[in-house]
Amino acid sequence: MISKYDYAVGEAGAAPAYWPPGLPFGRDAGRPTLLIIAHPKCSCTRATLENLNRLLTKCGGRVAVRVLFIRPKGQSQEWVRTDLWRSAAAIPGVVVAEDPDGALARTFGAATSGYALLYDASGRLEFCGGITDGRGHVGDNPGAEAVVSLINGGAGLQARAPVYGCSLLETSCRARDSSK
Amino acid sequence: MIQLATERPSEADRFARRVSALFEGQRQNIILHTDRLFTWLMLCQWAFCVGLAFWLSPRTWSGTESAVNPHVWLAIVLGGIVTSVPVILARTQPGGQATRHAIAIGQMAMSALLIDVTGGRIETHFHIFGSLAFLAFYRDRRVLATATLVVFADHIIRGLYWPQSVYGVVYAPFWRSLEHGWWIAFEVVFLLISIRKSLCEMHLAAERQARLELTNDTIKESREHLAQAQHIAKLGNWTWDIPANRVLCSEEAHRLYGRDPEVDGTTMEKCLERVLPEDLPRIREAMAEALKTRQPFVCDHRVRLPDGEVRHIHGRGEVMVDAHGAPVKIFGIIQDVTEAALSEESLRRTEMQLRQSQKMEAIGRLSGGVAHDFNNLLTVINGYSSLSMLQLDEADPVRKNIEEITKAAERASGLTRQLLAFSRKQVVHPRALNINEVVRGMEKMLRRLIGEDVELSTNFDESIRNVNVDPGQIEQVIMNLAVNARDAMPDGGKLTIRTANISVDQSSTFRNRTLKVGSYVVLAVSDDGVGMNEDVQNHLFEPFFTTKGLGKGTGLGLATCYGIIAQAGGDIRVYSEPNSGTTFKIYLPMTASATEAPAAPPSDTMPAGRETILVVEDDAGVRQLAVTVLRKCGYRVQISNDAYEALEAIKRSPQFDLVITDVIMPRMSGKDLRDQIKAHRPGTEVLLMSGYAGDALAHRGVLEEGLLFLEKPFSPARLAQKVREVLDASPVAR
Repeated sequence: MISKYDYAVGEAGAAPAYWPPGLPFGRDAGRPTLLIIAHPKCSCTRATLENLNRLLTKCGGRVAVRVLFIRPKGQSQEWVRTDLWRSAAAIPGVVVAEDPDGALARTFGAATSGYALLYDASGRLEFCGGITDGRGHVGDNPGAEAVVSLINGGAGLQARAPVYGCSLLETSCRARDSSK
Repeated sequence: MIQLATERPSEADRFARRVSALFEGQRQNIILHTDRLFTWLMLCQWAFCVGLAFWLSPRTWSGTESAVNPHVWLAIVLGGIVTSVPVILARTQPGGQATRHAIAIGQMAMSALLIDVTGGRIETHFHIFGSLAFLAFYRDRRVLATATLVVFADHIIRGLYWPQSVYGVVYAPFWRSLEHGWWIAFEVVFLLISIRKSLCEMHLAAERQARLELTNDTIKESREHLAQAQHIAKLGNWTWDIPANRVLCSEEAHRLYGRDPEVDGTTMEKCLERVLPEDLPRIREAMAEALKTRQPFVCDHRVRLPDGEVRHIHGRGEVMVDAHGAPVKIFGIIQDVTEAALSEESLRRTEMQLRQSQKMEAIGRLSGGVAHDFNNLLTVINGYSSLSMLQLDEADPVRKNIEEITKAAERASGLTRQLLAFSRKQVVHPRALNINEVVRGMEKMLRRLIGEDVELSTNFDESIRNVNVDPGQIEQVIMNLAVNARDAMPDGGKLTIRTANISVDQSSTFRNRTLKVGSYVVLAVSDDGVGMNEDVQNHLFEPFFTTKGLGKGTGLGLATCYGIIAQAGGDIRVYSEPNSGTTFKIYLPMTASATEAPAAPPSDTMPAGRETILVVEDDAGVRQLAVTVLRKCGYRVQISNDAYEALEAIKRSPQFDLVITDVIMPRMSGKDLRDQIKAHRPGTEVLLMSGYAGDALAHRGVLEEGLLFLEKPFSPARLAQKVREVLDASPVAR
C-alpha cells in the first residue's frame, strides 16, 4: 500500500510548448527558466525542493527558478505561507509566488504538486514532470538529471518524467483516489 | 555446639564454579540491562518515527482537502509491529535468548522502516550502524550475526526489488548492496573484536571477584574462628586510637564488659564505665605508666555487669608508637578470669581454714594433753586436801591453808575445763532446757559480774523452743560473753540479752563453720561498747588471743565459747563495728524434747562397801589416792600400773567386782582394757576415769551408751559415791 502511495504517478495535463504570454510574471530572457508548481502543504514536495536545491548547486546561476504555490479559492494568504513556502524562498535564486485558485497551474497543465517545467532561454518547453522518483524521495532521479543536463546545455535525456506528489486540485485528486 | 560440613568441594572447584557463576551473572545482568535499554530505545524510536511522520508528512493533500498521510499510518502500524514484539518479549521473558534475537530483528526492521520512510536517505543508514553498536551491548556474537543477516537480507532483497526504498534510486546495481554489506561487515568485525575483548575482561573481572570473595571467605572464616576461640577462652581484644580517643573492641571483649556489640567505636571513658570504682585508679595508673615508658602493662580489674554480676578481668596491653616515637595506639586483650579468681579465693579460704583447723587441732591436742596431766595432778591435790580436811579438827589452823590449796586447785580445775572446752574434749552432759530459764537463773549473778555501771537488759521470746546443751557449759558461754561485754564498756553501757526462734532456709558459712538449714534458737548478747575492727574479729575465737592486756585475760574465753557451741552442734557469729558495739549471736539447734530436771547437787558423803576393786592407773599419785580412798571406805583394793598388768591380775584372781581404770595409758588404753574385760568377764563392771573425752569414748563430748565414767579431777567423796553407784547398779549386785 505504501509502495503504491509512494510510487503512484501523479496526473499531469498538457504543458504549453512555449512560455505562455500574459502571465503575471515573466521568464528571464537569456537563460532557461525552471518553473515548479507546488501545493503549499504537500509534504512530498519537500523532497522536490531538496532535489531542487541539489540541482541548483550543479547548475550555478544558469537557470531562473520560479516556484508557484497554489492558493485555492477562499484560502487566506496564511494558508499558503507554510514552511514549504519559506523553504523554497530560502533557496538562493528562487522566486516564490502564489497561484490564486490554481489558474496558472491549469495554464501549465499541472495537476500534481512538484510538477516542474523547464523552458529554455527562448521560451520553449524542454522538460516537464517530477524531479523526484517517488513521493518524498530525495536523491538522484532521472527527472532531476535531465533538468541538470538540459540547463547545462547537454542533450535532453528525456523530455518528460513522472511526477509524484499531492493533487493540486480537489477533483483531480478525488478522481485519482477513486482510480486507486 | 559446632556443626561441621561433612563434604566440601576443593578450593579449585569452588573457584572455577564461582568464576563461572559470576561471569554468567554479570553477563545476564548486562543482557537484562540491554533488554531494558532496547525496550526504551525501541519505544522511543517508534514514538520518534511516528512523531517524525506527523511532523514531516502529517497529511496528504488534494487541493484544500487532506487526509492522514499513509506514512503516518505506516509509522504507527508497522513501527508498532516492529517494536511491540521485541518489547513484549523483553517484558515477559527478560534475558531470554529469543528476546534479544527478536530485539535484533526488530531493531534492524526499524532501521529498514526508517530508511524506507525517509525515501532511502543515505543518512538514515547510519541508524543501522548505531543499532549494531547498541546490539553489541549484549556481548553476544549470535545476536550480532542475526542482526547482520537481517540487514544483509533487507538490502539485497530491497536493493533488487525496491531500490528506491533502500537507496532512494529507481535502479541500484547489485554491487551497491554488497558495498553496504561490506561497510556493515566492517563495523561488525570491530564489534566482534570488541565483544571478545569485553568478554575476556568480564572473565578476568569475575576471576578477580571470585578470588576476592574466596579471600573474604577465608578472612571471614578466620574471624569466626578467632571469635569462637575468643569466646571459648573468654578472651577479647581491643584497640584504643589515642588521638581520636576511639576504642574498637572484639565481640567477646564487648560481652566480657557487658556492652552491646552493636555499639562499637566508643571512648575509653565509656569502656571503663563498668569497672569497679576501686579498680579504676589502678587501670589509669597502669595505662599512664605504659604511655610514659612505652612498656607493656598488665592490669587485673573487676567489672560489674548490668545484671550486677562481678567479673574478674585480666588485662594486658602494649603501646604502639608512630615514626616520631609518640604513642598512637594501645593494643590490648582482656580475659575473664572470674572462675580462676574465685577458685583462688576459695583455695585461699580453704587453706586459711585448714591452717586454722590445724592450729586448733594442735592447740587442742596440747590442751588435752596438758589438761590430762593437770587433772591427774589436781585429782591428787584435791583428793589429799579433802582427806586432810577430814582428818583435821575444825579449829586446826592448818585447815585454812588446806582450804586455800583447795580453792587454788578448783581455780586450776576451772582453767583446765576451759582448755578442754575450747578443744572440745570435755565430757558434757547435755539435756533439754529452756534458754530463757537459763538466762533468768543467771541474771543475779550476771548483774554482780558486770557491775553497776552496766545495765543488763533482757528480751526473751516467750515462745522459745528447747535446746539440748550442757547447762554448765551454756552458763559458761553466757558468762564469758557478759564478762567480755563488761570489759568492752569501761565507762558503763548496756548489755542486752535476747532470745528468739529462727528458721535457716539457706546454709551459710561464717569463719570455719557452716550453719546448716534447720530450726535454731538464737541467743544474742549485745553491748554498746567500743566494738572491734575486722582484724580483731578475724582472730577473736583463737585461743590465747586477747585485747585485754597482759594479766587481764587468758585469751580462752571466746575460744571456750566457740568450742562449747561447736561441740553442741551450733554456731556463734559476731557482728561489730569500732565504737558501735558488738553483738554475739549463738545459734543452737532446737530440740523437741521437754525440759529435764537438773541433777542433784554433789554431797560430801563417802558411802562404804566390801567389794573387791582393781584400780588401773599409770599415774602413781592418782593411783595411790584412789587406793587410799577406796580402802578407807572398806573395799578390798588391788592395783595395776597399766592394762596388761590388769589383765594378768584378772586372769589370776577373777573375783573383782569392779575395775576402775584410767583411759589414757601407755601401750593399751582404758577403753580397750574395758572391751577385753567385757569380752571375757561380762559380769565385771569397769569404771573409766579421764580428764577428757577422746573420740574413742564420746561423740561431741557425749559418752557412748553403756560406758561408766568418772571425770577427773574428782574428789574422794565423788569417787566413793560413783563406785557405790556403779556397784549398786551392777546386775551381779542385784
